[in-house]
Formats: sequence, C-alpha cells, structure tokens
Amino acid sequence: MPVNVVVLMKPVVDPKAIVNFRPDGTIDRSAVKLVVNPYDKYAIEAAVQLKEKLGGKVVGIAMAPLHAVDSLREALAIGVDEFILLSDLKLAGSDTLATSYALSAAIRKIWQKLGSLDLILCGIESSDSNTGHIGPEVGEWLGLPSVSYVDSILEVRDGSVLVKRLIEGGYVVMKVKLPAVLSIAGTSYQPRIPALREVLAARRKQITVWNTAEVGIDQSLVGLAGSPTRVVRMWRIEIKRRGKIFSDPDVDKMLEKFLEEIRRDGISLGVRS
Amino acid sequence: MTFSKILVYVETSEDSPAEHSLELIWKARELASKADMSVEAVLVGHGVFDIAREVTYRGVSKVHVVDNPRLATYSLIPYTTAIAEVIKKTEPEIALFSATVIGRELAPRVAARLKTGITADCTDVDIGSWVDPSTGRKYEKVLYQIRPTYGGEIMAAIVTPSHRPQMATVRPGLFPIPPRDTSRSGEIVGWNIEIADEEFSKIEVLEVRREQRKVDLKSAKLIVSGGRGCGLKGLELVRELAEVLGGEVGASRAAVDSGWISYDHQVGLTGQTVKPEVYIAIGISGAVQHVVGMKDSKIVIAINKDPDAPIFRVTDYGIVGDLFVVVPKLIEKLKRR
Ligand SMILES: Cc1cc2nc3c(=O)[nH]c(=O)nc-3n(C[C@H](O)[C@H](O)[C@H](O)COP(=O)(O)OP(=O)(O)OC[C@H]3O[C@@H](n4cnc5c(N)ncnc54)[C@H](O)[C@@H]3O)c2cc1C
Repeated sequence: MPVNVVVLMKPVVDPKAIVNFRPDGTIDRSAVKLVVNPYDKYAIEAAVQLKEKLGGKVVGIAMAPLHAVDSLREALAIGVDEFILLSDLKLAGSDTLATSYALSAAIRKIWQKLGSLDLILCGIESSDSNTGHIGPEVGEWLGLPSVSYVDSILEVRDGSVLVKRLIEGGYVVMKVKLPAVLSIAGTSYQPRIPALREVLAARRKQITVWNTAEVGIDQSLVGLAGSPTRVVRMWRIEIKRRGKIFSDPDVDKMLEKFLEEIRRDGISLGVRS
Repeated sequence: MTFSKILVYVETSEDSPAEHSLELIWKARELASKADMSVEAVLVGHGVFDIAREVTYRGVSKVHVVDNPRLATYSLIPYTTAIAEVIKKTEPEIALFSATVIGRELAPRVAARLKTGITADCTDVDIGSWVDPSTGRKYEKVLYQIRPTYGGEIMAAIVTPSHRPQMATVRPGLFPIPPRDTSRSGEIVGWNIEIADEEFSKIEVLEVRREQRKVDLKSAKLIVSGGRGCGLKGLELVRELAEVLGGEVGASRAAVDSGWISYDHQVGLTGQTVKPEVYIAIGISGAVQHVVGMKDSKIVIAINKDPDAPIFRVTDYGIVGDLFVVVPKLIEKLKRR
C-alpha cells in the first residue's frame, strides 16, 4: 500500500549560533543562519524510508517567512517530492495554537490535492522553542489521532500504523488508525546526507508559496491577534556556572591544575579513604 | 459561584498519585494562597477513588474523578475528552499539567480542544495582574508562565490574558511534595463523561516494555555519568571513578539505548532528575534532554574531547581531552591522594 506523507518542517535559528537581542528586547533573527529544525530531519528520514519501502508521495510544508526558502532545499535533496511554503505577513507572531491551526488548514488543502493522506510527521519539538505542541495540536484541529515521542515506525498495514513510543523507563508499541499525526523523537533514525548530485537537482525544484487567503485561513485565528499567549518579557540567563575550562596536551599537567583549582575553590570530590 | 480555581491534572503511578503531580499541587497551593483561589485536581482512570482520597490529603479542596473501566490505561483521545469536559464544566482559571512524556502530549491536545493558549515546560509559574501595554487594559489572576527558550540560553515570561483556562506544563523535580495530612478533608466528585467508542479505537496499546527502577540517584551526593562517547569500555572507567569517589553511576539515554547500562541509571527528561553535590559527565554532549535532568547539581564537571560540546556551557570545570586517557590518569591521581 503506497502511503502519502506530509512532513512539517520549521526553519530555526542555527542551534549553534549565539542569540542576540534587539534594543526592544525581541530576538534578532536577521543576522543568523536559518536551518531546518534538527528534530524535523528525523521526521523527513522516516517519511523517505516509508516512501522507499511502500511508494507514495512525500510533501513537505513549512510556515515561515519567504527568506527561509533556502533552508528548505535540503529536504528536497533528501527525497521530499514537493514543498509548500506557507508564508504571509499575517502569520507573524503566531503562537502554537495559531500555528497549528494555519498548518492544519494547509494540510487539508494538500490532502485535497493528493486525494488521500495517510501520515503527518513532524519532529518531537523545535530546537528553538522546544514546545512539542504542534503535533498534538494539529491532530486535534484535524480530528486525527496523534502520538508524540515516536521512536520508530514499525509497520504500515490495513489502514493502521504500528509505532514504538518512548515512555519513562521504556517503550510502548501502539497501533494507530490512519490518517495519523506522529511526532518523531528520532533516536532510531539517522538522517541521510544528500549527494552533491541531489543537492544540485534540488536547486531546480520548485517550492510553492501559499498565502493565507489561498489556503482559506481565517485571519482572526492567526498572527499576534489570533494567539492566546503573549510573550511579555525575555532575558538572558546568567550562567552561574564557573565555566573553567582545562585544555592541555599534557594530560598530567592539566589534571594537576584541575585538582589544584577545585581544591582552592573548596570543592571536595569526596574521595574514599 | 466562584470561577477562581486552579486545576491540577494528577497522573497516577501504580496505585498512587505521581510524585511530580504532587509537586505541582505544592506550587498550585502557593499560587492559590497568593491570589485567594482554591486548588482542585482532576484524575482519570479506573478504580482511582482511593488515589483521589490521597490527593485530598495533600491540600486539594476538591478532586474531580472520571472513573471508567475503559479508561484504566492512558489513551490520548479519551483522556483529552475526559479532561476537557471536566474543564468545561468546572471553569478553572488555570489548568496545570506535569511536563512528562504524557503531559507534553495530553496538555496541548486539551488546549487545542478548548481553543486556549498553552506554554510548555515551565520552570516556574507565578500569579499577578498584567496590563496590556497596547490597550491599557488590566487583567487579574494572570498566570506568568516562565520557561527557557532558544535551547536554554534565554528565559521568557508568557501570559494568556483573555483565554481561559490559562494552561501550562511544568517540569517535574522543581518543587517539594506537600506533606501528607490525613486530617484534611476534601470533596471527591465523580463525573460521568460520555466518550464515543471511536475515540477508544483510534489508538490501541499492544505492548508495554518497562524496566524497573532500582538505583536511586535522587539522594546521591556524587554522580559520575557516562555517555555515548564511553562505549562499553569507557563505562567501566566511569564505574571505577564512581567507586573511587564513593558515588553513584549515571548515564545518558544514548548509553542506555546502546545497552551498555540499564535504564535505572538514566539521567534526563525520560530518566531521573538529580541534584547531587557533584555531577561528573563523561563522554556526554549535553543535549537539552540530558541537561534538564542534572542542571540543578551543585557542581558540574565534564570530560569531553570536543571543546565545542554544549555540555561545557553548563559546567563549572570542563576538562577537554580523550576520556580513555584522562579518566585512568584521574583515577590514579585520586587514589594517590
Ligand atoms: C523525547 C526525548 C527524550 C530524551 N530523554 C533523554 C534523557 O532522559 N536523558 C538523556 O541523556 N538523553 C535523552 N534524550 C536523548 C538526547 O537528545 C541525546 O540524544 C542524548 O542525551 C545524547 O547522549 P550522549 O551525550 O551520551 O551522546 P552524544 O550526543 O553522541 O555525545 C557523545 C559525546 O561524547 C564525546 N566523546 C566521544 N568520544 C570521546 C572520547 N574518547 N573522550 C571524550 N569524549 C568523547 C563526544 O564529543 C560527544 O560530545 C532524549 C531525546 C528525546 C528526543
């Protein structure tokens, strides 16, 4: 049975970059490189593996400003067949409820175009806001079952998907009726690196841009005005750690320095006598 | 009729309320006394009335119970319906969930059902008034939802001014457990919530594999943890160092998933939250999911060969080097002292 999969992707500020504030206290995203959320790469890998095994189509979607487009080409190189960028100034400032609503509307439209849809995959959370809300909230807007913390997709059969889900202290195996939304935690997928040839081919592939009107999004439910939550303040955490780093090719010397330093700082390693 | 209450979703663990849920009750009681509100709880399952009684001993004035044989084990969609219906009927100002692997999928689902806002993974919550700077309108009993963002470098305070309930998931391990006082009496209310058959059949649990937890890292004074960088051999070094220092052995999930050490040693989001005097991370990169479990340790020491490893951002003493060289020498030096 071929499966049609939609993968949700979020362009995020490169997790390795140091974040800067503007004078008004908001985050300055202009200077930093955008990359695909690392957790979403596990979802892409899972989708592409399903396609290779069972056939079907993989459609990527991101809700982001137009300049994020370059960060999305990698997905096309890895095997996503088609990409939709949902982009509209009216979406700026959307919180997770508003974002999940807008994405659900776009998924409905993709679903209509494909004729059938089996799975909606996303990363367990984004590396910048780490909420994990989008999967369950999209599931609720679409009236579909959702599973978070999916370690791996075991099998798709007879209108259901078997998944392994992480829990505290172990796993559960669950059978979920299709269509379903799965948030991939990723511990068992190794995202592939595209070959140069695929990267070049992806540059020529088209990314379709949709705005809110084309998707039929109720504009009162998105953007800052459509978002129930409001960020009222942000501040940098002062790291209270001492941050003393020891690095020396002469390991003995380095360790002597380290032991001397902690002794001077009055720290006991509680050595057994 | 007062709408001024805080509702806490209580997860169960065996036949008791989960510890993290009791921590949340502690915090809810603090907020409630500050803003003159009451604390209520909601419990979903089967045969959970005794657990509800336990919850009242922790200082909750009312426990709402949805008890139904078909709810005996957790299932996302019917649990969403049960909790959302109780919220609709009782109209709390605030609804709090623990940020566990269950709470983090259940709470947003409930929020979307109720079309209200939610904040994930709060490390603290507070209550007070808030004035919208653009309209000048003042809101009362506003929940300040405080959480790290941008991978933990930045903190944000978030409010939900005009939607109710104001919802948040709160990280476990941050607050004390309120004392158990059997002289307290609270009301227990059973709700009969109609849940369609279809809701039960969408997700079926076929198999549960869970390891028993034996090692108690929570009370350890010193923990030496090993990660993926260790391999089976490196974990031997980790054990030896822990032995020399009289500490316990911890691990990252990567080390546990590789089968080098059992789950009861795992520190982090899906493992244990620890607060030792000294935490030594060896061959651990410092992923957020690991760091949330150990960041409240008094002193953190890391040994890693990658000078850019994120763990070094949260350490007091970082040793850059190959653990297979560093750790044996460290053991030797410690033994000599
Ligand atoms: C939903 C979810 C829940 C999770 N829960 C947890 C959890 O509870 N606990 C947890 O720990 N993780 C958890 N994780 C996994 C987490 O995201 C990381 O994948 C994991 O913590 C990585 O473990 P690690 O640091 O040991 O491995 P890696 O990230 O692979 O890091 C290995 C480190 O070892 C260093 N190294 C390698 N060789 C050497 C050497 N010879 N000498 C010195 N250093 C060396 C490397 O430089 C690297 O920094 C969770 C993930 C998800 C998605």
